[in-house]
Amino acid sequence: MTFLCATFSILLSLISVSWAAEPEVIPPGDLADSASLQEATRVLEEEVKLAAKPQTYVFMDLAANVILIKGRGVELHRSPIERWSASDLSRFAALYRLRERPQVTRRKIDPMAVAEQDPISLVDMPTTFTLKFSPPLTILVLSNTDGNPWQWTLQRGRVWWRRLTAWGQILRTGDMSPPPPSLDLTVSLDHAQSLAWTVTEGMPFLIRRPTP
Amino acid sequence: MKRVLLFVSFGLMGLFLVTLVQSSGLPLSTASTVRPATVDPVSLRTLQARYKTLAKQLTQLMPTQPYILVDTARNHLYIKRQDQVMLDALASTGSGTILDKPGESKGQWIFDTPRGEFTVQSRLTNPVWVKPDWAFIEEGLAVPKSQADRLEPGVLGEYALGFGKGYFIHGTLYTRLLGKNVTHGCIRLNDDDLKSVYRLAKVGTPIMIF
Repeated sequence: MTFLCATFSILLSLISVSWAAEPEVIPPGDLADSASLQEATRVLEEEVKLAAKPQTYVFMDLAANVILIKGRGVELHRSPIERWSASDLSRFAALYRLRERPQVTRRKIDPMAVAEQDPISLVDMPTTFTLKFSPPLTILVLSNTDGNPWQWTLQRGRVWWRRLTAWGQILRTGDMSPPPPSLDLTVSLDHAQSLAWTVTEGMPFLIRRPTP
Repeated sequence: MKRVLLFVSFGLMGLFLVTLVQSSGLPLSTASTVRPATVDPVSLRTLQARYKTLAKQLTQLMPTQPYILVDTARNHLYIKRQDQVMLDALASTGSGTILDKPGESKGQWIFDTPRGEFTVQSRLTNPVWVKPDWAFIEEGLAVPKSQADRLEPGVLGEYALGFGKGYFIHGTLYTRLLGKNVTHGCIRLNDDDLKSVYRLAKVGTPIMIF
């Protein structure tokens, strides 16, 4: 009996070791849960295609509340998501391409200037910005405004304005078809600027949706 | 008119309530999670097998040899091997500034360090900088006709690693600017870190820049 128990324990530890030795990929959550496994597999299928090419890509894991910059399947940078909300997650596709990066005010070099000109840096990046994708998706990135009521008011104003213009569009055109899906993300100020800095036109974005 | 005002007032009140809920961190979306149709045990096992196969495929795509990682936002260069950090070096990367091309109405240079994945294409010792046109123009100088007038030895350090389109990882005379975005797209390091990178990186070593 003891022998059987020992053998069973060894086998069990081998199984768990084999799972532990699995690569650092999208964690499927509960392997016995078909919904989370389906979602993880769906995203992993896209990631394998992306990682096969020499490029960097963004993986937004809404299940784990984290934004990862990745290349060849390797995590290059991690930004935690503080809050998020989405208009219609069921319509989210796995893969999107960024149409244009956030506007950056670049300084122009003046060859005649005597004084040294400042380069742009992370602090010059926007703290609130919209990313537009193909297929249609809009991501509004907001930075944490805790302790800054003025920033909070500005950000809320931006969110309100977006909704008002969407309603106005419906009232004007009478078009009741659902608008493209949208996602609002709140991250820390540093991570918002870092994301604005990192993303480039055409950059692939993978989105993993949470399952209950 | 009263009806319109009433409609607008209710709309604004609704927006305000929505904003309060959202700012409190509560989920706003009525569809904040996704639950696909349930699957039978056989399909679940198939799905598990598919997941494991894909996970294995992804692992096989990950670099097993050392690779260079460059964080242009924070101006750091790392050499990593799987999860191990072999080197963490302060660097200088692209300034993001622009310079107009003379004689071209819309032409300009943008001094960004390129983002994406590259590989080390060349390893040079005692490199000589062949100054491109912009190096003269930004100083308000005339672009020389002779190639010999473009050569500037000793400014790139002892080593240079080329990763395509004229971009290099090289040394610098301006070590006080390390940690800042000041370059024309190249990646600058101090002498000691440059030596380590030269020693660890081979032709073909991946360089991931974000």
